[in-house]
This record gives sequence, C-alpha cells and structure tokens, in this order.
Amino acid sequence: MTGQASNMSSVKLGLAVAWPAFWTGVPIKVVIALLLLATGLHPWEMPGLAFLLLLSIPIDIWALGLSSRTVFLERLHLQPPALVGLTLWWQATLFSALYLPIAYLIGSQAVAGAQAVASRMFELELLKTMPVPERISIELTMWGGAAAVVLLVLALGWLFGFGRIVGRQVATARPAAEPYQALVRQWDLLRVPDDQPLVLTVLAASGVTLVVLFWAFMPVSTPHPHELYEKPQEKVGPPLKPAEALQKTEKLIAQAESAVQALEAKAKKDVKNKGKNKGTGKEAAPSKADQPKAGKTETTPGNAAAPTR
Amino acid sequence: MQPKLKSKVRCTDREVGEVTRIIVDPLSREVSHIVVGRNGAGVPERQIPASTIEAVTDDTVELRAPSSELNQFPVFRRDEYVTIHEVEIAHLEDHLHVQPGEVLVPLPELERNVKRRTFFTNLTHAIGALIALPLVYPVLRYVMKPMYAPFDNRWLKIGNVNRIKADDVGVQFKFKKTVKEAFMPEAEVDKNVWVLKASPPVLEEVYKSKDMEFRDHTGGVIWTNKRDVPYVAYSGKCPHLGCGYKWRNVPKLGRQIFLCPCHLSIYDASGKVLDGPAPRPLDPVPIRVATNGDIEIIDVEYKAGTKVQTRIV
Amino acid sequence: MNSQPSLLEKVFAFVDERVGLKTIQAKMLNEPVPGGSRWAYVFGSCLLFIFIMQAVTGILLMFYYVPSADHAYASTQYIIHEVDYGWFLLSYHFWGSSAMVVMVFTHMSQVFLWGAYKKPREMVWLVGLALFGLVMAFGFTGYLLPWDQRAYWATTVGVEIMDKTPVVGDFIARFLKGGPTPGQMTLSRFFVIHVMILPAALMGLAGLHLFLFRKAGPAGPFQGSVEELKAKTDYFFPRQVWKDVVAMAAVFFTICSLAFIEPVQLLEEATPDPGDYHPEPEWYFLFLFQMLRLKIFSGEFGQFLAGVAIPNAFLLLLAALPFIDRNPERNIFKRPIALVGWIVVMAGILIFTVSAIINREFLD
Repeated sequence: MTGQASNMSSVKLGLAVAWPAFWTGVPIKVVIALLLLATGLHPWEMPGLAFLLLLSIPIDIWALGLSSRTVFLERLHLQPPALVGLTLWWQATLFSALYLPIAYLIGSQAVAGAQAVASRMFELELLKTMPVPERISIELTMWGGAAAVVLLVLALGWLFGFGRIVGRQVATARPAAEPYQALVRQWDLLRVPDDQPLVLTVLAASGVTLVVLFWAFMPVSTPHPHELYEKPQEKVGPPLKPAEALQKTEKLIAQAESAVQALEAKAKKDVKNKGKNKGTGKEAAPSKADQPKAGKTETTPGNAAAPTR
Repeated sequence: MQPKLKSKVRCTDREVGEVTRIIVDPLSREVSHIVVGRNGAGVPERQIPASTIEAVTDDTVELRAPSSELNQFPVFRRDEYVTIHEVEIAHLEDHLHVQPGEVLVPLPELERNVKRRTFFTNLTHAIGALIALPLVYPVLRYVMKPMYAPFDNRWLKIGNVNRIKADDVGVQFKFKKTVKEAFMPEAEVDKNVWVLKASPPVLEEVYKSKDMEFRDHTGGVIWTNKRDVPYVAYSGKCPHLGCGYKWRNVPKLGRQIFLCPCHLSIYDASGKVLDGPAPRPLDPVPIRVATNGDIEIIDVEYKAGTKVQTRIV
Repeated sequence: MNSQPSLLEKVFAFVDERVGLKTIQAKMLNEPVPGGSRWAYVFGSCLLFIFIMQAVTGILLMFYYVPSADHAYASTQYIIHEVDYGWFLLSYHFWGSSAMVVMVFTHMSQVFLWGAYKKPREMVWLVGLALFGLVMAFGFTGYLLPWDQRAYWATTVGVEIMDKTPVVGDFIARFLKGGPTPGQMTLSRFFVIHVMILPAALMGLAGLHLFLFRKAGPAGPFQGSVEELKAKTDYFFPRQVWKDVVAMAAVFFTICSLAFIEPVQLLEEATPDPGDYHPEPEWYFLFLFQMLRLKIFSGEFGQFLAGVAIPNAFLLLLAALPFIDRNPERNIFKRPIALVGWIVVMAGILIFTVSAIINREFLD
C-alpha cells in the first residue's frame, strides 16, 4: 500500500478518508447529543437536530482535515494541500446535498418494492400454508437481502463520489520526498498541538463546564414515571385560615356556654328530684354532651390555629 | 566492583581460565564464589571463594593463590545449584552487576518524542477524569437521599389529661405511631412520652420566662409551647444516649424524680439534670391540649449525647 | 528546574525502593504494539470499562434494592421514582448490560477476523469464550431482579427451555428455580449468582485472560511490510491507552444517552398469571427465542435442540477453532471460509432477531 496515488480506486480513497473522519467526530458529537438529551431535547428532531448539525460543521472540518492529511502522508506519500479539510468539507456537503435525496428516493423505493415482492410470493398457493415464524424469516431474508444490496450500492456510490472529490486534491498535491519513517512521524505529530497547556486547559475547562450544565439540566426523578406509581403525598400541614378559625372558636364557645347553662338547669332540677327520689339512688350522670362536641373540634382544620390561648 | 562473567582469571603466576559462573549468597546477596573453567580443556570447573580474589577489573579477576594450588579448590557441582530465575529472592537483581555490557532494545521511533508522550499522557488523564466526573454529583445525591429526611410534624393524640391526678408527677403516655419507610409497607411503632402537669415554679424552671419555639428543617416556626400552659410533655428518650427513662419515688432523696436505668441520669420534674452523664435537660416536645382534655404532641426526636439540642426526626 | 524532589516523587521513590515500581510500570506500560496502536484494539479495554461501570452502578443499586419477592418490585420502583437520580443509575445499569453484549460480540468478531485466536493464542481465546458465557449468564440472571411481569416470565420461559435438556435438564431447572416452580427461592438464587458468583468468576477469568494475552503479546495487524510495521510501532502507553480512553468515553456517553432516551420502565408486578402479557427474553436472546418457534424444533427434543444443543454446539465449534484452523495466515481477505462463515453467522443472528420483533404483531 505504499505510494500508489494513481492506483487507488475512488471508492477506496473515499473510504480511507471518510471512515476515520466519521469516527473522529463521533465522541464529540455523542457528548453534544447527551447534553441535548439532558435538557429534554432529542438530537434526531428539531430543534435539537439543528443544534447538532450546526456544531457538527467545525467538528467535521477538523476531522476531515486530520484524516485526509494522515492518508496523504501515510498511504499516498504526498504533502497535503493547505486547508484540505475545509475544501473537502464544502465540496462533500454540496455533493451530498445532491446525492442523498436521490439515494433516499431510490433506496426507499427499492426497499418497498422488495417487501411487496416478498409478501406477494407468500400469497402463492404453494407457500400459503407455511407457518408464521418461518414465513417471517424467509420474507425478511428476501427483502432484507435485496435491500442490503441496494443500500450497499448506494453507499459505494457516495464513497465513489467523495473519493473523486479527494482525488482532485490528490492531483494537486506535491510528492513528499521524505522517507517513510519521517512521513509517519509527521502525521503522528499532527495530533500533538504546539501549545499543549493551552489545549489541555481549554479541554478541561470546557469539559467541567459541560458536566456542570449536565448536572443542572438532568431531571432528578424519572422523566417517564409509571402510570400506576403513587408518590407518597408530602404531609403538608393543613392551611391556616385565622379568620375562619376565630369564627369557629367563637361558635364553639357559644355552644359550650349554652350546654353549660342547660346542665346547670338540669342539675337544679336533679337536686329537686333527688329530694323526692331518695330511695332510688338514681343519679342522673351529667350528660357527656360537652365531650363529643369538644371531641369533634379536634379534627376540624380550623383548630390548628388554636395556639391563641 | 563485582567480578564479571567471562572475565579472564589470573593466579599470581599465570592466567588459568575465565569466570564461567558466579555464585551468590541468597541471604547476604553478595558474590560468594566464582567458578573458574578453561574452555574445552576437559578440566573440571573449580569453585573459588570470593575471599581468594585479590583484585577485580572490567575484564580480569586476580587471585591471591598460585596456579599450583588451583586443584585444592573444590570441583564445581552444577546439580547443587539453581539459577536466579528459578528462585524468588527479594531484590536480588538490584545487588547483582555481573553481566559484562548490557542487552538493549531500541526505543520505537515514535516514542522518542517527549512532547508527544507527555501530551497523550495528560490528555488521557483529562479524558479519564471527565468520564468519572459526571457521576460524582448524581451518585452523592443518590446515596444521601434518606440521610436528611424532612421532619414529621404530625400531631398525634396520646391520651387525656384525666390520667394526670396530681401536679409535678410524671405520667407516661404510650402511643402507637404509624411509620412508612421508603418502599416498606406502613408499620406501627410503640413510642412513649412523659407528661406532667407543672406547678408554677416547675413551669418557670422549664420555660425560663420564654415561650418554647419548635422549627422545621427550613427554620420556620411550626409551633410554640406557651409558658402559661401547665402541661409539659418530655420526649421518652433520655438525652444521654436515647434510653427510656422512668418516674421513680426515691425515699432516700425524699422526692420523686425521672431516672434513666441505662447510665443513671437523674432529672427533676422540670427536666433539670440532678445527677448522671446527661449533657442537657429532658427535651420537651410540642404539646397542645384540647378543651376536652385530649393531649396531642408532635413526636420530635433530638440527637442523643449533645449539649445543644439538634432535631433529627 | 527543581533540585528538590516533590512530595509525589518522594512517595514514588519510597514505594519503588520496596516494590520495584518503576520496573513494573515500565513492563506494563511500555509494551510495544507492532504496527502501532489501533482503534481496532480498543474493544477489550471497553469491555473492562463497561464491566467496571456495571459493578459500580450495581453496587449503588444494592443500597436500595431488596431481593425478596415482597419488596423487589417496590424497591425498584422506589429507586426509579423517589431516589435522586436513581432512574438514571438504574437505566445506566440496564443499558450497560446491552452495551456489554454488543461489545462482547464486537470484540470476539475483531479477534476472529484478525485471526488472533491462532497459535500461540489458543488459551486466550478459550478463556475469552468462557467470559462470553459469563456475560450472557449475567444478562439472564440480572433480568429477573426487578420482579415485574417481563422479568418473571422471561426467566420462567428461559428456565423451562433448559429443563428440556435430556437427563440433567430437570435437575438444572430445579436448581435454578430453587424448587418446582419460580418464586422467592428463584429470586434469592439468581441474586446471589448475579451479585457474587458471576462477578468473582468474571474478575478471575478476566485477570487470567489479560495475563495470557500479555504473555502471548499482541498479534498486531495482519498485513503490512516489516518496514511499515516497524515505522509505526509505538508503546501501549500512552497511545493505545489514549485510544482506549477515548473509546471508553464514547461508550460511556452513549450509554448515558440511551438512559435518557429510554429510561427503565417496569411493567406491573409479577403474578403467576401472565394475562395478556407475551413473555419475551432480553433482546440478545431473541434470535434463539425465534428459532424455538420454528416447526422443525417443535416438541420436547426439538426445543432442547434449538435452545440448548445448537447454541452449545456452536460454542464448542468456536472453542475447537484454534485447533481445527492451523493455517497461520491471519489476513481475513485470504481466509474465505472464515469471512463467509462470520458473515453468515452474523446475518443469521440479525435475521432471527428482527424476525422475533416482527413476530410480535402476530401473537394474537
């Protein structure tokens, strides 16, 4: 694989740059996606998707630059052109904007067509009696296989186009005269920044900031509570309503007064009767009329205000 | 300097061979013998004690003895020895420098750049820390969830004042409290408080001319025990270490007191510590008495063993 | 520069004098990786990382989870709904177990495709297969613990399948269930297996796996001239460790994201009557589950074949692989049988898994 710039097919070239560039961006994009999820947004729906795509632009440019430079030096033995990452990015974006909608159309049509053909097959008399699980697997293999082939071809098509874009950069690049070891060292050291403390400090600071934001946004209890789960109610004290409480207390006092008066009247009568019924030993016990009434007051909310003694 | 393997060996008169092996004392870790042999001569190797060595240079070992005495040294028996790789002797290699020269492996080309190495070292540490960091706060909150549970400020009915027949006499009121801990089903626990109807001097001792305020965990007042209400309820737990205490008549003292059987803390009717290790007086709890005499309290618990009252339940 | 050594350096020198720390460190970290550090080699380290995270989250879950039939469901719901961030830690543990299975398949595939099971790495491969079995056992035993309908019935069906093994099936099933039917005994056994026995076994075997790997040395890339490999060679530390850490970070953040996208939600509490619920195992057993539905595997022996015999026979084949395949060639593009075999097996598992999902709609 050493130095055959012209011999490398477009698909191979496209793959050699696109595959590492994609994976280089993934760890950073996953962090962004996680932060979006913590806030409750989904990275595959608007507006989260817009945010993610916007932030992907500088990430992709950087990743494409790094991957392409490595490929140029290591596999092609060429000096990478300046700003190769940016150039590849905008050209690839244009290309994808044209290619992807068409590919999506073709792909979805092909998949739908394959599915239709497969299910039609099972309407034949021969296969109608086949049990469900077997039928599912065979249908899936049929249309899945066809769909996989179609998707593979479409992917190769994109790689071919992207490979041609890279090839245009290759054509303008100067050969690198250094020995292999020096080239390896060159692309290896691409990954070492000139100002290390700066890069590390920025990374650490932004990391800590993102983590703190993550903590601030993430929900404390499950965002999908179970429909049957009852949270134990906070035992909040009943609300204080002073005016009502006072009114109630006044009413009670009035009631108590009348009850006491009734009792006194009754007691007087009893004394009179006692004189008459000495033998019977019947003593009318003072009615506990007071107690139940007073007992009831405890449970009414107003009495929580009773502190005013 | 230690003798080197393959060094020439010279007796006082002539060269007799080379150092074929070195023998080390396993305890002192010093070279105890050298083995001298002559290449292909069919002559047995001889084992020479280190004391016989006069001088050592990089490629020669000089012996004190003449070559004629060489045959008096014992013949070397290989089967009486094992190599240092077959036995574990601590730190042996640190004390041994008997190899002539060194055996080396080249540093890979890419590893020769120190800046690269330090950058990736630091970057690895940074990323590693950033993986662990997001977990710190959620995990701390997770394990701390039940540790500072908010207070239970329910009023509980415990009985009626008609049980209290005399002033300044402690009456125990036992009651059941329903508790629900986390996901456990509701359970009932037995609790008790001591209530007494205080005479004015005792009441003054308890309140010290100040109404007693009770607060919730935010600091807001939830209840005030007014100092003109004669009923005082003390938490059933002794402030020393939480044991249940009793009201006792002590003939020797000629009075009745609260006595804790665990460590013999003694309190008078106002809760004041008369004797024993209790760090503070008995803890009054919020109390209210209804017009019909029903007593209600809030079951407040304080940390045991501290001078300052700290509410925990 | 400083003439006085810092405190850290002094501590290091103290330990080094007694333990030979410098030498140990150098031996562990300065392992030359032929052809240079590679992203393709990160999967083993990722597995170790996922396991450690599972252990950490699992231990935290045990602060609140109670393994009794009375409280298992309630305590799990408590973790999800009441304990601060409990939903997140439980969901992380749940998705982490799926990630572990995915990673184990990826790691095994990478080793297989790179031919790194061949001589002298046969023992590494065998211990690795044992570790694979442990990971699947972890998934199976952990699934029961929440004690909701899904957990209970997936376990019941799984153990019933094992019961179909001739001769020893009944014994194995009763051992796992702790009786003739699933209940508290089952939960206790699954708990101790999941929390004590399997972790101890995994840590021991993982240590052995790493030791054997180090003894054999990394296999390196299967193509490239000697000059190329030498030019790109670097040490395990820092470059490969750096790649491992980045991969671990990506895995960590992905699992966190999944925890947010789909937090764990239990079904109703387990009851002896399945009602309308259709039992299903966890997704990585679905392909076996679907195979069991095929007509050719109906009947007691058929169920044993599909559920026990065929999977174990396949594992035995994998175990025999280093001894059957003696060709020292490691380039996958020059081993057509291996390449086609891998594609067929992966495609087959995928097809049956998706079929099981499609089949859900046909369960009247």
